[in-house]
Amino acid sequence: MDEPIIEVKNLSKKFGTFEAVKDVSFTVNKGDVFGFLGPNGAGKSTTIRCMLSLIAPNSGTIAIFGKNLANHRTQILKNIGCIIEKPDFYRYLSAEKNLEMFARISGRDSSKKEIQEMLEFVGLDGRGKDKVKGFSHGMKQRLGIAQTLLHKPDLIILDEPTTGLDPQGIIEVRNLILRLKTEQQKTVLLSSHQLSEIEIIANRMVIINKGKSMIEGSVDALVNEQDLLLQINVSDYQNAMQAIELEFPALHVKHLHGSIIEMALEKEMVPKINYFLVNKGFSIHSLEPKRKLEDFFMKIIQE
Amino acid sequence: MLVRNTYNEFIKIIAKPRSYIGLGVLTALIFVILFAMKADGSSFVSFVTASFEQTLSFNGNILNGNLIAFIILQMLIVHIPLLVALVTGDLISGEAAMGTIRMLATKPISRTNIVLSKFIAGAVYTLILTLWLAFLALIVVKWMFGTGDLIVLNSSGLIILQEQDIMWRYLCSFFVAYLALLTVSSLSICLSAFAENSIGPIVSTMGIIILFTIIGSMDVTVFDSIKKFLFTTHMASWRSFFEDPVKMKDIWQSIIILVVHNIVLVAIAIIKFNKKDITS
Amino acid sequence: MRYIFFSLLIFYSLSANSQTADQIIAQLVSKINLVKDYSVKANIKADIPMIKVLPVNATIYFKQKDKFKVISKGIAILPKQGFTDVSSFLSNKNTYVAVDGGLKDLNGVQTHVVTVIPTVENSDIVLAKLWIDTKNKVILKTDLTTRGSGSVTMNYVYGTQLAFGLPDQITFTVDIKKFKMPKSISSDINNSEKAKKSKSKIGIITIKLSGYLVNKGISDEFFKKKN
Repeated sequence: MDEPIIEVKNLSKKFGTFEAVKDVSFTVNKGDVFGFLGPNGAGKSTTIRCMLSLIAPNSGTIAIFGKNLANHRTQILKNIGCIIEKPDFYRYLSAEKNLEMFARISGRDSSKKEIQEMLEFVGLDGRGKDKVKGFSHGMKQRLGIAQTLLHKPDLIILDEPTTGLDPQGIIEVRNLILRLKTEQQKTVLLSSHQLSEIEIIANRMVIINKGKSMIEGSVDALVNEQDLLLQINVSDYQNAMQAIELEFPALHVKHLHGSIIEMALEKEMVPKINYFLVNKGFSIHSLEPKRKLEDFFMKIIQE
Repeated sequence: MLVRNTYNEFIKIIAKPRSYIGLGVLTALIFVILFAMKADGSSFVSFVTASFEQTLSFNGNILNGNLIAFIILQMLIVHIPLLVALVTGDLISGEAAMGTIRMLATKPISRTNIVLSKFIAGAVYTLILTLWLAFLALIVVKWMFGTGDLIVLNSSGLIILQEQDIMWRYLCSFFVAYLALLTVSSLSICLSAFAENSIGPIVSTMGIIILFTIIGSMDVTVFDSIKKFLFTTHMASWRSFFEDPVKMKDIWQSIIILVVHNIVLVAIAIIKFNKKDITS
Repeated sequence: MRYIFFSLLIFYSLSANSQTADQIIAQLVSKINLVKDYSVKANIKADIPMIKVLPVNATIYFKQKDKFKVISKGIAILPKQGFTDVSSFLSNKNTYVAVDGGLKDLNGVQTHVVTVIPTVENSDIVLAKLWIDTKNKVILKTDLTTRGSGSVTMNYVYGTQLAFGLPDQITFTVDIKKFKMPKSISSDINNSEKAKKSKSKIGIITIKLSGYLVNKGISDEFFKKKN
């Protein structure tokens, strides 16, 4: 049975007359990589800040590790590692010193060796003695991840962790998150604008918009409710289109551009289409099934 | 966790260049005074004894280390509070501006402990500044100018304190002076809890000191009832140790008022910081 | 005959009196001149309005005719005038006129009162009235009026050094003008007490002297050196 790690119930927060978060509820289970989606200004940051006690909600409850955050704040935070927006450090101190200082108050002592290993892990080996003021944004992001993981928390909350990273960095963070889930059974709450990333690494998600939670559930289930979009780069696309529509009257095929055609279908149909076109003698240059998370997302937030 | 975070706060203060500005300026100020005294101290002394010199002559080593230490302590009234606020006013708001307050507030340490550790670190920095001042004023100056009786000029007249009767007065006065500077530190940290930038609390602290000092010095009956409660009124209470007899009742009153100020300012800062939504 | 006798008696008496003032001063000066230099331990106690000071020990050095130096560990307050001014003034008889003021009893001792009036324009001393013990040829009391420092009264008590005319105790009574405190120095900016005004217009400095070392030879350089 799923064990809830985070339970947010009817969370609301107003700043003056502006309702940043209104009646948001969701649950994050143990071992989840939980996607937290929403457009800019939806209330994601406010919700995350409430979960980390940076902001006091006006109403609602937040329970983490089965304990009420309001009453067990210190105990709960010992087991959470987080990056909120961009990680900020003491610019006049070295990377090592920064990690030492945060480790000192994180509830678990970290030795110099562990700090060195963590710096190596995030790709900052040899930069430990350098002052943070000389770090690029990407380096600070890496240091932020190091700071998040150093005290080995069970729950990791990441707000836009790949912002400012190069493609290699993005892949590394993604792989890291997956490893945290699979190898270390960590629970990760991930807020991101990169829908493709959420789709790849998250197993559950919630979408919020205008301060309200719109939909929550398993990524696969939510997205697979919708049809798959299949894009095929095929020789003689016009005849291919006709042939498919003739064989599969339920499908509606459209020409995208060049020799690429697109159709919406269930995922079980993909091999059948592939087999059909090959048997008919068409040359398939590429076959790309696209999940419609983006469409799904846009549909939800426009409701 | 309080001890750990206080240790962190020390590291931050030590690492910041501006922490050394205060010590450097203090040292420079004192050496400027020493140079002036060496060059033309006798005319300064004449200025002090001028009203009496028509009838009396003052013999002995008047311009000695004890007198110069007293002059240096006089600087406490305006200059050193700024040097204190320069560092302590930045302790909370500087982190808000830098963004690190966000990181700090997500750690398993209560907000009360965060504020208390900053107060403690600020208090220690203020103590270091005071001890440095004491070292320069009592040891270095005496090495340069020798020692002797101390002439103090008050509105009630001239007091000449004998050399052997002076050191305990200085030790007590430095303690009270530290309490006064601690109040400045507490005020700036308290204001820092309300701000999101460094400059605001520093300038506000100085503004409050100047305003209260002016109110305290105005001979206007409408201010009489509030004067004794202004902390600036008691910032100069260290001078009372150089009266004869020492007005211990007045000094105790000053100590109590300064201690109460510190407690209230710390309490306000804790309450404010606990209620604050950290959105930076 | 009786008339002539009494007239002569009065004439000689008057002549004797006018000569007596100069003679008395001359005798006083020759006794003063016995002392070329001296050093003495002094305990100085000042009781002056608006000044609080404990008694201070010092060593006083003097050399003819007006070299004077005080060395003290602490700060010693002495009157601006009165120590060497009288002896220095009296030593040059061309600069004053002495007028006999008759005999007066001072604390049970018969003294000759002599008023000394300077004849030079730039003299700081305006008037000096001396109570002189003619038997011992010492001054028991001086009332000095000066241009710069107002009036100073000195009372002398002699003991061990009577032969040299050096007192064991001098009590100075000085004029205290209204002292003004320079506010910027006092910095009592938060002191709401009003500055106390002294009712008394005089201050008293009592100096007890002991351990005289007379005519031991003190160099002029000593008086030029700073302590």
